[in-house]
Amino acid sequence: MSGTPRVVTANWGDPDVVAIDGYVERGGYEGLKRALSMSPAEVIEQVKASGLRGRGGAGFPTGVKWSFVPQDTGKPTYVVCNFDESEPGTYNNRELIEREPHQLLEGLVIAAYAVQSRSAYVYCRGEFLWPGIVLERAIAEASERGFVGTDILGSGYDLEIVLHRGAGAYICGEETALLSSLEGFRGQPRLRPPFPAVEGLYASPTLINNVETLCFVPHILRKGATWFAGIGPERSPGTKVFSISGKVERPGNYELPMGTPFRALLEDQAGGVLGGRALKAWTPGGSSTPLLTAEHIDVALDFESVQAAGSLLGTGAVMVMDETDCIVEATRRMVQFYAHESCGKCTPCREGTWWVSRVLARIEGGLGREEDLPLLEDVAESMLFRAFCALADGAVSPIQSSLRHFRDEYEQHIREQRCPFTGSGPGTPSAEPAELEPPSPPSPEAPGEQAPIPLSEVLR
Amino acid sequence: MSDELVTLTVDGKEVTVPKGTLIIRAAEQLGIEIPRFCDHPLLDPVGACRQCYVEIEGQRKLFTSCTTVVAPGMVVLTQNTSETVHEAQVANLEFLLLNHPLDCPICDRGGECPLQDQALAFGPGESRYVESKRTFEKPIPLSPLVNLDRERCVLCARCTRFCDEISGDRFIELYARGAGERVSIAAGEDFRSPFSGNTVQICPVGALTATPYRFVARPFDLSSADSVCPHCASGCNVKVDVRRGAVVRVLARDNLDVNDAWLCDKGRFAFRFADAPERLTTPLIRGRGLEPASFGEVLDAIAGWSTGARVAFLAGGRLLDEDAYALAKVARTVFGSNDVDHRRGFHGGLAEELAAAQPMRVTYRDVERAKVILVVGLDAEQELPILHLRIRKAARRGASVFVIHPRRTRLHDVAEHLLVRPGREAYALERIRDSIGGDSAEDRVAAALRSAGGDAVVLAGPRLAEHPLAADVALATAGRHGARFALLARRANDRGALRAGVHPSLLPGGRRVDDPVARAEVEEVWGELATAAPGRSGHEILEAAAGREIDVLFLIGVDPLRDVPDAALARRALENVPRTIVQSLELGALEPYVDAFLPAAAWSERQGHVTTWEGRGQRMRSVRSPAGLSRPDWEIIVGLARAMGRDLGFETLEGLQEEAGGLLAPRPRTEHASAWAGAGPPQWVDELTLFTYPLLVDEGRLSDGASELKAGLEEEPFAEVHPEDAERLGLVEGGRVELRTAAGETSLPVRVTHDVAPGCVFVPFNQPGLATNTLLSGRFTSAVELVPVSSAGSEPVLAAEGGAG
Repeated sequence: MSGTPRVVTANWGDPDVVAIDGYVERGGYEGLKRALSMSPAEVIEQVKASGLRGRGGAGFPTGVKWSFVPQDTGKPTYVVCNFDESEPGTYNNRELIEREPHQLLEGLVIAAYAVQSRSAYVYCRGEFLWPGIVLERAIAEASERGFVGTDILGSGYDLEIVLHRGAGAYICGEETALLSSLEGFRGQPRLRPPFPAVEGLYASPTLINNVETLCFVPHILRKGATWFAGIGPERSPGTKVFSISGKVERPGNYELPMGTPFRALLEDQAGGVLGGRALKAWTPGGSSTPLLTAEHIDVALDFESVQAAGSLLGTGAVMVMDETDCIVEATRRMVQFYAHESCGKCTPCREGTWWVSRVLARIEGGLGREEDLPLLEDVAESMLFRAFCALADGAVSPIQSSLRHFRDEYEQHIREQRCPFTGSGPGTPSAEPAELEPPSPPSPEAPGEQAPIPLSEVLR
Repeated sequence: MSDELVTLTVDGKEVTVPKGTLIIRAAEQLGIEIPRFCDHPLLDPVGACRQCYVEIEGQRKLFTSCTTVVAPGMVVLTQNTSETVHEAQVANLEFLLLNHPLDCPICDRGGECPLQDQALAFGPGESRYVESKRTFEKPIPLSPLVNLDRERCVLCARCTRFCDEISGDRFIELYARGAGERVSIAAGEDFRSPFSGNTVQICPVGALTATPYRFVARPFDLSSADSVCPHCASGCNVKVDVRRGAVVRVLARDNLDVNDAWLCDKGRFAFRFADAPERLTTPLIRGRGLEPASFGEVLDAIAGWSTGARVAFLAGGRLLDEDAYALAKVARTVFGSNDVDHRRGFHGGLAEELAAAQPMRVTYRDVERAKVILVVGLDAEQELPILHLRIRKAARRGASVFVIHPRRTRLHDVAEHLLVRPGREAYALERIRDSIGGDSAEDRVAAALRSAGGDAVVLAGPRLAEHPLAADVALATAGRHGARFALLARRANDRGALRAGVHPSLLPGGRRVDDPVARAEVEEVWGELATAAPGRSGHEILEAAAGREIDVLFLIGVDPLRDVPDAALARRALENVPRTIVQSLELGALEPYVDAFLPAAAWSERQGHVTTWEGRGQRMRSVRSPAGLSRPDWEIIVGLARAMGRDLGFETLEGLQEEAGGLLAPRPRTEHASAWAGAGPPQWVDELTLFTYPLLVDEGRLSDGASELKAGLEEEPFAEVHPEDAERLGLVEGGRVELRTAAGETSLPVRVTHDVAPGCVFVPFNQPGLATNTLLSGRFTSAVELVPVSSAGSEPVLAAEGGAG
């Protein structure tokens, strides 16, 4: 749409910006030059003044986060870019990297300069094979041109960027689990405090930012804080890349000002609900955010408005369900995801997600009992805010919100002892999929029967 | 933690604790127990089980009290005062029980299981979980000692954290994720940690069980007593469980001054020796053969042999303090002999006198808090395992650790090792002592010691006994740099024996027998002593016996044929001495030589004290009465004195303790002595040096019957050589080598490793099928010649046969 200001996706139509020549021709790395002409403190001030808030889900003010990183600790300072993008429904980071990788690198170098780090890591989701290749190539190009490496653009500032590929775990998007994984340990979250800003990677001060957040940084440096703060609502300034998927005509990434009503995203950008059917439910920010319904179609998509509507903006991953979708099945699928991805460290998450996914499978399979709904509510309550990290809270979101908005649908499943949408019930193929069972364990007492586990996998 | 204090209230009660204290610990101080599984006071907080929720006033969420530190004015509500907390804990317990099998009736933990106890106390009576439970194959052995039942595991990670944080033996690790997460070990690997049993003890459920105790007893079926481990000078506090008279289990007792909450696997699993079939519990006397007799008959016979005779005493390191005192006294006052010794090495010196005179110069706490630790001549993990853990603890707190030893130890990940040829430790120490700066390894050690001053500790181990001055040079090195010094003893009560005067030149309290003032102090209690001349050391006693200069040889808890580093000399001594008297649990290979046997009570049957390497006296209680006719050693010694027509001055343990107390009080002792003399430059030697010391699990008598322990941790004998030497001599890993010394020869499998110093060969002392002392001539080192043994497959004869077939 012509009137929409596009910032980080402005060049998406241009295949030349993937390579460094095209990027530089279109003004790339000008933001970095600006930053290097300023003091680190001035860079932080400018990002603070822009009002940029983290796009990874929590919406924490980016400049403030930068200013928390202590200097002169005698330890190295690290910057880590979180490119684990694993929230179901979210895929804007991937496209940002695939289409314009240098935009991220420029933002990363500026952030590293601002906190005076000499060493930055990009933690790339394990499944992202191609984006990883694109990024690796971009890092090589930028090093060759002197935007990364020693004495960047003659400023005397050095920065090394290392791409690290994850091994495929949702939990590694959680920043402390990401740091554990980056250090070579099991991807499990760590206790906070100490917070990563003070004791992060290798127990040293560490700044962690999401890909999308860093992509905005070069533009803020180039065009100024006031320009950025002028876009969108005052408390959530700027634009946001929304990933819309599910039952819509044109799924994809759309960059819109914060505060754009959901209706505009759905109807003007994504072409409305698939086949003109009625909207039933949608997530504003991935499967970890409570479901909203058709009555919330005019909610403005910014941190405050979505929260007021009873959900969270999260990563801006909008998943749309229409009138033919079974909410019980959709919830089961989401909770099953969390049961599969729970790292296993703490009890409520490990056991709660397992329990709920099995109860939901039973209801969907036509074996629900009346007492199952209070049970689900009770279990969800015992999980919410009780686990080590927010993964369990994310799992609770679809459970509680689906029960809140679509309790009648659950009751219908139980009453009819079948799924009113798919017809599955006792006698039909089990709705309890095989993945629910734990993978068969290795048996150390019979090493001959299976390939040995490499020692490195077992020992830290 | 700091000196700053914080005041808060828990359940309305005020408590003041150091800043940085966890809520769960603060509550404990008020006697409020918050339920927990993953929390362990000696492990880092993890917050995994989520059982210990509390409410903090003004906070929306519940907090886990095991991960949250106190704050001033904090108002904490536990399950006792908050319904929300109570409900959360019940819900969490329900989660934990979802996949927990109903195994309690057949589970070793039943009756002492935190999960069972909490489920009984406040758990939901019935589960709302109607689906099938997660199942695993059960149980799987992690080693011959430890079994893992993954179904019972609550994933608290205590075991994996112990291995990670405390022992550093990272054999086990959590594996997979979600409800499929489990403890696992690499296929084909064994949990070969000498501390593996601790994971069983701290497991809050029955997921980890110990083979020796599986299906053996129920807690309510046991009688227990507090005791002290008899296996080394670490002095671990233990609880001994007895079922129908037999020891069936040993557990660590918490004592933060000594063993924290830990115990090595030898201490935990080698407990059957007192019930071994070889044990003898009747006095025996040589007639036609060895015949049973009464104590009176045997003691009278011994008195007859000993009257007017030249008598000498060799003792082991495992007599209690009281036994050692009685022995020291009877030797001097009744037999007029200073030929009494308990040592296998250490030839006198100021370091030894100080250790005898002044207990507790360095303690476990000092090691734990030290900033710099220099370990010389000790393989801590194998020789003093709990000291090893303490050094690791110090390293984790930031201490710099240096080890001077011919063989790399299991402190390798926390310490810098200076590998020196055996017997050369003294020269390395001299370079440290005399360092005036520079960047050699010795200079760096010296600089570190200097910078830490009183926060530095020098720990001198048994390898130093190979050089007559080494221990004193270590003492001087510590003194020069302002560090504290401890002479380490390895065997359980070596230090007690030294302090009591089971020593040819030292009377109780480290008083030199040739020092008139010191001797007078002893004579005031004991009466006049016959001789002021120092007696013979253990080695000299054997030489004298071999040379027919001794008439009666007492062997008290010692077997020279296996313990002394010269098997040939021991045999000659036993052959040539007219009368040999053994006072022990069993006879073993001594049987042909013995004239009289006096059955001693075993460890679990005795009361009294043992002394740690620090010099800390610890009380032991008997768990059961002495087997058969066996008696505590001190009682036998009193009886011997009586048979000789003398009165030792005490009839009861209390009487003995009262008399000994005065003589064993710490004495001021000047530290400046001629020990500053140098050890001199190392002599150039071009031959290889064999060195040996016992590993933790060996063929020692106290490991009798510990079959699971031996299956788990004992190694077949081997010879370790440095790659340089291996290449020069044509030795390959896995091949065999013949070792030839002046005393004997043997053939062993070769291990080629950078973990020994070049120029030497390590062979463990007492492994199955190898009596290493047949290669030795009085020391634990020896010049050795190595000859590769060609492997069978390459022999031409066999190759020809293969070709023909």
